[in-house]
Amino acid sequence: MTTFGRRRFLGLSGAALAGALGVAGCTRSSEQEAATAAGGDVLRWWDHFQPLKPLNERIFAEYGKANPGVRVEHEVYNPNEMGQALQLAFKSNQIADVHTIAGLGSSEASLVASGWFAPLAGQDTIRAKLPADTLLEGLHVFDGKLYTFPFFTARQYATLNWFNRELVEKAGGDPDNGPATWDEFRSLAARITKDGGGQAYGWIQGLQFHERLQSHVIELAMSAGAPLAMTPGANEMGLVDPRTGDYAYAGDPFVQTLEFLLSLVRDKVVFPASTSLDARTARARWATGVAGMFFDGSWNIGVVNGQFKQFIGKVGVGPVPSPAGKPVLYGAPAPGQLFVSSQSEHVKAASELLARFTGPEFYKALATYMDQVPLDLEAVSTADVHPTYKRAVELFGQAVRLAPSPIVRNPAVAQVMTEMKEPRPTLGEITQGILSGELTDIRRTLREHAGKLAAERERATQVVSKKGVKVSLDDWKFPNWRPGEDYTAEMYQTS
Amino acid sequence: MSSVTRKVPARRRGLAARIWSERWAYAFLLPTLLLFGAYTVWPIISSLYYSMLDWKGLGAERPFVGLDNYREAFGDPLFWKSLGITLTIIAVTVPLRVGLSLLIALVLNNPRLPLARLFRTALFVPAVTTTAIIGVVMGFIFDPAGGPVNQLLLDLGIVDQPVDFLGDPASSLWTVMGVHMWKWFGITLVYWLAALQTIPATVYEAAKTDGAGNWAALRHVTLPLLRPFLIIILLLTAIETMQIFDLVLTMTNGGPFFSTLATEVYIYQQAFANSTPRLGYGAALGVLFGLVTLAFAALQAVGIRYANRARSSR
Repeated sequence: MTTFGRRRFLGLSGAALAGALGVAGCTRSSEQEAATAAGGDVLRWWDHFQPLKPLNERIFAEYGKANPGVRVEHEVYNPNEMGQALQLAFKSNQIADVHTIAGLGSSEASLVASGWFAPLAGQDTIRAKLPADTLLEGLHVFDGKLYTFPFFTARQYATLNWFNRELVEKAGGDPDNGPATWDEFRSLAARITKDGGGQAYGWIQGLQFHERLQSHVIELAMSAGAPLAMTPGANEMGLVDPRTGDYAYAGDPFVQTLEFLLSLVRDKVVFPASTSLDARTARARWATGVAGMFFDGSWNIGVVNGQFKQFIGKVGVGPVPSPAGKPVLYGAPAPGQLFVSSQSEHVKAASELLARFTGPEFYKALATYMDQVPLDLEAVSTADVHPTYKRAVELFGQAVRLAPSPIVRNPAVAQVMTEMKEPRPTLGEITQGILSGELTDIRRTLREHAGKLAAERERATQVVSKKGVKVSLDDWKFPNWRPGEDYTAEMYQTS
Repeated sequence: MSSVTRKVPARRRGLAARIWSERWAYAFLLPTLLLFGAYTVWPIISSLYYSMLDWKGLGAERPFVGLDNYREAFGDPLFWKSLGITLTIIAVTVPLRVGLSLLIALVLNNPRLPLARLFRTALFVPAVTTTAIIGVVMGFIFDPAGGPVNQLLLDLGIVDQPVDFLGDPASSLWTVMGVHMWKWFGITLVYWLAALQTIPATVYEAAKTDGAGNWAALRHVTLPLLRPFLIIILLLTAIETMQIFDLVLTMTNGGPFFSTLATEVYIYQQAFANSTPRLGYGAALGVLFGLVTLAFAALQAVGIRYANRARSSR
């Protein structure tokens, strides 16, 4: 029988610990060595697009076939953890060759300035494959060099009206298009609720999580005529009236939007548990037939197809309801998704691989996942997708115009946005307060909110200006903006 | 006498010599000291440091702003509101939990009660169940659309419309407090049962010999002897109640419209969950909340001293 003395036990434990640490420390380099020993380069790729993983890996496999010496190592991160992983990896010189920037909380411009990325190789080839007006200086191009490009379109919104065709038809609504105006929406919701007899309600929404609720309010307000210039990634702090550069939340469209939503609560047509639901749980309840209508983005049908297949035959989609039934919305310029790291030793290969994420074949393949909408909306019309997805994309094409973006005109705006501290309650939280009856004076509340945002932006602008950065409140004004029209790349030159 | 003469020079020896003479004790303490240092002392020190930075938690830019975050916290109405909510939760649930659990403990302490162990276990089970799971399950239980609580209330005719327990600001805090009390009731019950075990049977026998009935024994023996424990149990329960983060987060996420925004949830939102997280500011709020907890802990220390004194004078 073997016996362990104290010294032997401690000695073995120490050796085991040292061994474990050694193994942990060597894992990555061992992998790289193995790949090199196998006679090839390893391209490391980090993103946070879980639903698109099969598509990405198919493209990697095709690339591997065409380039036998190169293998792609793909890692899909949780978006919440991505920023931390990137920070740590960048500092320790271990960042992937290609990666997204989710969770970094910094603008493209500041990351480029901090030396995070390498300009793409073979820029002309990539530029030639992208639709006109896609690339903007300050967002994708810096000092004339291309660093990134978008995969997904700017022409989309998250407040499509998805409906249960059976319930809508039973209540006398249009099962193909749904209600167009706010009045139609309200009366249809009332009829569905009445017909439901306590088993079905007119509208269901995840009201507990205010971020998504805020998006719906902003898009409903745009459908009511709110003009908005947009800074991508800056939430409500980045949305201003392009004519004046002021925050637009105190205007009639926002007041009317909140009054419209409040009228639904007062009519008792809202599914009772909505206040405790988020978007995912609201969708899951909607798919059980407990409510007629549900606001969501185009990805809704992809999720229904994946998780609630038995319900898919009942699904219809219509445009975001608007006061007059002819919504015009604005979309922020689409940012780039992926960048090649400045630490990469394979910039050329990484750029070639990235270039495969453009072009009609890619957009068509992307559309089949019914998740994010591809950059080229035309690709969806010939893709093998559910009819409601095609319809959703058609609606986007009809209604969404490109908004001007202050960050494109002056990248220093990003520094102001970073310096700003979002005042609370946010617009989403205010909406919660109004719908729950805790806030009663809508106009006054919104006026105060817009005032707080304006004061905070002014403070942040002063702080950034004091550092010697050229930025002023005029950067948010776009006098040549015209309602209902795209703000094109050329218009930045003349504004 | 010889032991005294040995100890006096030992006290005069240097620190290093004394440590060396007790080296094995310190060697065995070392793992605890290391873990305590790494997981308690270091986070406190780093929180203090972070609280003086304007830092989002990520990114190289983290300018030192001194006490600015603290100044902002003192003028932040949401921080004060969250503190008010936390103190309300303490003020409402602690006396109720302590009082009710005492009553139940008195009943369960009766050796002649059948199934007493089963009842004790049943009341303790929620305390060992994962809080986040309880929070999610309670969402279904209080669901206004077909949840069992609403169904029962409707069936009994108590209400004619479902109650939105978690979605209505008027009821959400009370619902969270109710669930919190139920969840942790077993812990306070165990405190009381332990306290009851300290009362010697001979005292009851003496009281009985003097002609005391059950009520008289409770009033003149049990309750007076439990009094020292009351202070400790009250303070322990109050400090536990300050740590309500996981339950609130899973049940209401601090809403609707801040009605259940306990301080811990507000700190979490500021530091990590907001669209623009502010770790520096969150750390400052955490330090301030830590001071409030410290005040309760100081009260507890005083309470324990009082309890010990009361017990030793018995």
